[in-house]
Amino acid sequence: MTTNNSHRKVGDALTGFERQITQDRVDAYAEASGDHNPIHLNEEYASTTQFGTRIAHGMLSLALVTEMLASEFPNSWHDGGKLKVRFSAPVFPGEIVTTYGDITAINEEDGQLIVTCTIGCKKPDGTDAVAGRATVPLE
Amino acid sequence: MAVPLISTAVIGHEFGPYDVTIPAERAIAYAKAVGGDESPDYGDSLAPIMVVAAALTELIEDLGLFSGGLQTVHAGQEVSWARPVKIGEKVDAIGRLAANSVRRGNHFATVSVSYKDSTGSEIGTSSTTIIVSGEES
Repeated sequence: MTTNNSHRKVGDALTGFERQITQDRVDAYAEASGDHNPIHLNEEYASTTQFGTRIAHGMLSLALVTEMLASEFPNSWHDGGKLKVRFSAPVFPGEIVTTYGDITAINEEDGQLIVTCTIGCKKPDGTDAVAGRATVPLE
Repeated sequence: MAVPLISTAVIGHEFGPYDVTIPAERAIAYAKAVGGDESPDYGDSLAPIMVVAAALTELIEDLGLFSGGLQTVHAGQEVSWARPVKIGEKVDAIGRLAANSVRRGNHFATVSVSYKDSTGSEIGTSSTTIIVSGEES
C-alpha cells in the first residue's frame, strides 16, 4: 500500500485490479446497501427487463473504483476526496471487470496539493462500465 | 398502480432525513461484495460509498422507483467526503430534488444529498442522476 504520495506526477497510472463480479458478490452488495431490487437478484424478473438477465448494482462497480482510490491514497481519499462518474454500461454476473486510473493534473489549492485522476472500471470487452474523474488531496 | 413521487415532485422537494448508520454486519457484507487481496484496511471505519449507497436505496424507494413497470437507470454519481466514518457511527442523510425533467417520455432526475454526523456537521455530499422509463402518462 502506498502511503507516501510525494513522488506522484502527471501521467502516473494508479494500480488497478481485476475482480470477477459473481452473483455472490451482487447478493452481498444487496445486503450491504439494502438495495434488493429484483433486477439484481431475481433472474425470472430480470429476464423481462431490457437487459434480459440480472445485472450488478452500478454502485458495486463504483465501489471497486473507490477501493482503488482508498488503496492509492489511504490517508486522504476519505478525508477530502471527490469523484464524479457516469455509468455507461451494465455489468453482468460472471464478468471480470478491471479498475483503472491515471493522474492528469496536480494543482495547488489553498496551499494543498490536489491530484486529479481519470478513473473507471472496464468490462471484459474494454468498454467502460463506470468512468469519470476524482480529485484527492495529497497527504 | 400508485403514481410514483418522481412524477409529481418539484425541484426543492426534500427527502429524509434517513438514518444511514452502517452496522458491522453490513460492513462485513460490503467487504464480501467488493473485497480482494489488494483491498485497503479500513480498520474500524467505512468506505464512504457505503453510506451513499444506503441513502440511495432510501431515495429510490421514496421516489417510487421500485413500482412495477418502471425501469430505472443510474446514470451518474458525484461524491465528496470530508472525513472517515466509523462503523456504527450515527449519520443522517437529507436529500433534495435538484432537477426533474421529462424528455422523450423519460424522467431525468438529480437528487443532492447532505450527510451529517450527530453534531450536525456535514461530513459528505453526493448527487445522483437517474433516468426513469416505463411510466404511464
